This record gives sequence, structure tokens and C-alpha cells, in this order.
Amino acid sequence: MWYQKPVISEELLQSLPNLKIVASSGVGIDHLDLNLLSCYGVKVSNTPFVVSTDTADLGMALMLASSRRLVEGHQMAVSPDTEYFPADWLGAEVSGATLGIIGMGTIGYKVAQRAKAFEMKILYHNRNQRTKEEESAVGAIYCKKIVDLLQQSDFVLLSVNLTPQTHKLIGKRELELMKPTATLINISRGLVVDQDALVEALQNKAVKAAALDVTYPEPLPRHHPLLKMKNVIITPHIGSATKKTRRLMMENMTESIQAGLRGLPIPNEVL
Amino acid sequence: MSKKIQAIYLWWHKPVVDQELLQSLPNLKVIANSGVGMEHLDLKLVASFGVKMANAPRAVSSSTADTGMALLLASARRLVEGYHVAISSNVEYCEADFLGVEVTGATLGIIGMGSIGYKIALRAKAFEMNILYHNRTQRKEQEEQAVGATYCEKKENLLQQADFVMVVVSLTPQTHKLIGKRELELMKPTATLINISRGAVVDQEALVTALQTGVIRAAALDVTYPEPLPRDHTLLKLKNVIITPHLGIKTDKATYMITEEAVENILAALHGLPMPSEVLPS
Repeated sequence: MWYQKPVISEELLQSLPNLKIVASSGVGIDHLDLNLLSCYGVKVSNTPFVVSTDTADLGMALMLASSRRLVEGHQMAVSPDTEYFPADWLGAEVSGATLGIIGMGTIGYKVAQRAKAFEMKILYHNRNQRTKEEESAVGAIYCKKIVDLLQQSDFVLLSVNLTPQTHKLIGKRELELMKPTATLINISRGLVVDQDALVEALQNKAVKAAALDVTYPEPLPRHHPLLKMKNVIITPHIGSATKKTRRLMMENMTESIQAGLRGLPIPNEVL
Repeated sequence: MSKKIQAIYLWWHKPVVDQELLQSLPNLKVIANSGVGMEHLDLKLVASFGVKMANAPRAVSSSTADTGMALLLASARRLVEGYHVAISSNVEYCEADFLGVEVTGATLGIIGMGSIGYKIALRAKAFEMNILYHNRTQRKEQEEQAVGATYCEKKENLLQQADFVMVVVSLTPQTHKLIGKRELELMKPTATLINISRGAVVDQEALVTALQTGVIRAAALDVTYPEPLPRDHTLLKLKNVIITPHLGIKTDKATYMITEEAVENILAALHGLPMPSEVLPS
């Protein structure tokens, strides 16, 4: 299964009586009804760890591109109308700024490791606090209350998985708690953010900018306001889109399928 | 008025400092540059008028290193192309074959390991990159170990092994067209060239040919020659090129710090004290 297709419905499961396993690409499994699949005796696997570094890299890429206005800058550099580069055209500094990571799982932690090298101050919010060693290795400070993280961060990066608890985790209230100079970066799932509230927050300058690798739906309808805003960078869900990683994902999925068909323990099984 | 002027703070190479200007300002004591590059100044000429010069080396390094990393990541992951796919009016697009290349674990070759080059190495290390560097002189062992960098005395070795080649040298007669046809052909066909130094360090025509014929995979340039490029230049049209308008130090924080450094130097010069970052004609 790639890019959440085909859609696994009751109808599909009934039409495939010999289906033994669904191997899903990537780490997210929010698109799968695990109970339903379990009822039909179908096993499920994902590819959790192999996507982590590429996704963390993309999170950093989006933060840097947004902060330094890379996409706008490129457009200026290649535009037929450009005669000179204005001297007062500025971006914001990443080095030394405060990064708030919401969701400090494997991917979130890798983002922290990278951000530390940019001398960023790192705050994080997670269901559970990490160990002291893990925290000091990246210089990350735990914010038990998400409010504290939102109020202090220059960059808020979302790396949670999508669950009923994280659905619209970032809404009007959260966006208003953020600094007006802050940037929201989403590398998790579109539904973690209340998109309408985000549009409003950007238009009212409650937040400065957004950089989104994920939206809801994907792709967005062509008339959606997010597509037209200068201070929004959107990428087409390319978190794990490198040749090497896609190959590894395919290998993982093949291993899981082969094990599933042979009735052996399944690597990366989702229970 | 011209007799009152004792200091000039150069912003983006203006005003142009030539013989005429220097002759018209008899009481000029110091010229402070907003940035680290000094190749736009005739150092000997300025010194011959008894005028001191300073640049702003400290303030630029983090911002410029960040720009280098931003370009490396954006090019590797095809961020600008991806953006256009995401917002374009064609709804149907084939996601599955939009692939970039990995950054984590790849080999980065840094040409020019001064303070900016070193800050890039610090950042790249966090991405678990294998770091090679070429420099006029080798760095100390502790410095190399701190970033896990391996010295390549011959730049050919670096060019042949690197997935990403980052050019971070100052522009001098020796570094003019440092990266030309030969260097580009030594690079891997899967490699990316990133230039955050000066446009003239790269032979632009050779670069265009290399990009068009697949000699290298892509380029990301914060600097070109001239800036901006003529609007009909081929580099502006190539899909595998990202060009940014000399963003290097263009952040609010950096410009503030640069100005602070310049003011420190100017005040020191006017009071006859040692200047923090004086530049002497070599």
C-alpha cells in the first residue's frame, strides 16, 4: 500500500477472502481501521524507522527555507521583472532561535539532534518526558504544558502521529498563543492542524508563516487560500521521498509480506 | 561637507570607493565593510591614502552557514520544484516518482574551511554527513575531530568523492574560476554544487554545460556573476538549479550584528585604538 491507496473498506476486505496482510508504506497508520482488519484476520505492517531521518531532514529544510524566504528569493532571482536585489529584503535567523518540537518520537528527536548544531534552544512537548540523558544529549527542555512551548517558540514543529487525541491539536487557541513572529512547520499529518484556523491566523498575522509538507486533503483544492499565500511553503508530502529510503521501505514491506504469507512473525507488525 | 567625513560604512559595495572619492574626502580615516568579502575594494589604493579598513567576519558566519545548509537541503529534496507541484493549477500529479536524494549519511565536501566553512561542518555533522574539506592550510587535529572532517590536500580527491560540494572561499586571484570544466567533470554525476562564496569562483558557462549534459545533478547558487544575472541567462531556466538573491547574511539579526561590528571598528579607528577586525592589504 502506497500513499494510503487502495482504501481499505469492508467492501474491499469482503471481496478478497484470501488476503493475509496489508503492508503500508511509511510510519503513519491513521488511514487504516485496525479493528476492521483484525476482524477479517488480516495482519498489518508499516515501515516505521526507515523514514525517520529523511522526514527529520525535510523538517529542517522547511524551517530553513521558510525562515530565510528561500522560495520567494528564488522567484525574485529568476523573475523576468527583476532588475536588482533590494537591500532591505530580509529573512529571520535560524541559528540561536527557539525551536518547539511537538511530538518527540523518533522523528522529533532526530530534528532536535539537527537543530542543536544550529545552536537552537530546544523545547519539546510529548505524552511522556524523555530520559535525562536523551534530553541533555540534545539540550532539550520538557514543556509539560503545550502552552509554555507555544508562547516561547520562534519555530513550532509538529511531529506527532495522527490519533483522535492529536486531531486538530493546533487550532485557533494554539495559534493565538504562538508569537506573531513564529513559524509553524508541519511534517506529521494535515489533520493535526485546524486548517481554517491556520488560514485565519496567517491572514490576521497571529503567526508569521507556515511550512507544510502535509495538508488535508492532499492535494488541496486548487482554489484553497493556503496555495496563494506568500508566507506559506507547501510541499507535496515528500517527507520520505528519496531514492534510497523508498528502496528501503519497499524492502521492509516485501519482508513483512513474505513473513505474513508464510505465517512467520512479521517484522514491523502493527497491532 | 566632504571635509567632515571621517568614516564610511559600506553597504552592499556602495558607495564605490575609487581614487576620485578618496581624493574628495581629505579627513577620511576608516572604511568599514558590511560583510566579510573585500574583493570589491582596492586595498592598496585605500591604504595609500592612509585610510584604515575593516570587515565584519564574526557576524556573518552563522547566517551564511545557515544559508549554505538551506540550499543544500532545498536542492537535495527538490523543495522549490515540490512547492510548484503543490500549488500548481494541475490537480493531477504523480506523487510516487517525485524523488530527491538523501542528505543524512551523504558525503559533503567543503572547499574553504574558514569560519563559515567550519560552521557548515558543525551543522552537517548533526546530519551524520561524512565531511571532507579542502583548504589552503590544514586545520588542527582537535578542530577536525570535533566535526569529523577529513582533509583533502588535493581538491580532486574531494571532488571525486563528494555527494555535495559546498564552495565557501573568499574571492582572490587564486580562487577565480576555481570550479571550472575540469572540476565539474571530476564530480560525481549524482553530485550537487552549492556556492555561497562569490559568483566568480565558479566558471558559469562551464556550469551551465555541466548541468545541461548531466555531468552533475544540480546546483544551488546564492551568488552569481553578475548579481542579478541577465534575465535571459540559461541558469535561470534550468529545473535543477536553485538561485537565491545573495541571501547569505540577509537576516535582521545578522544585519544588526554586522552594523555593530562596523561601528566598533569605526570608533576604534577614530580613537586611534586597535581595530577588532582590521583588514590590511596583503
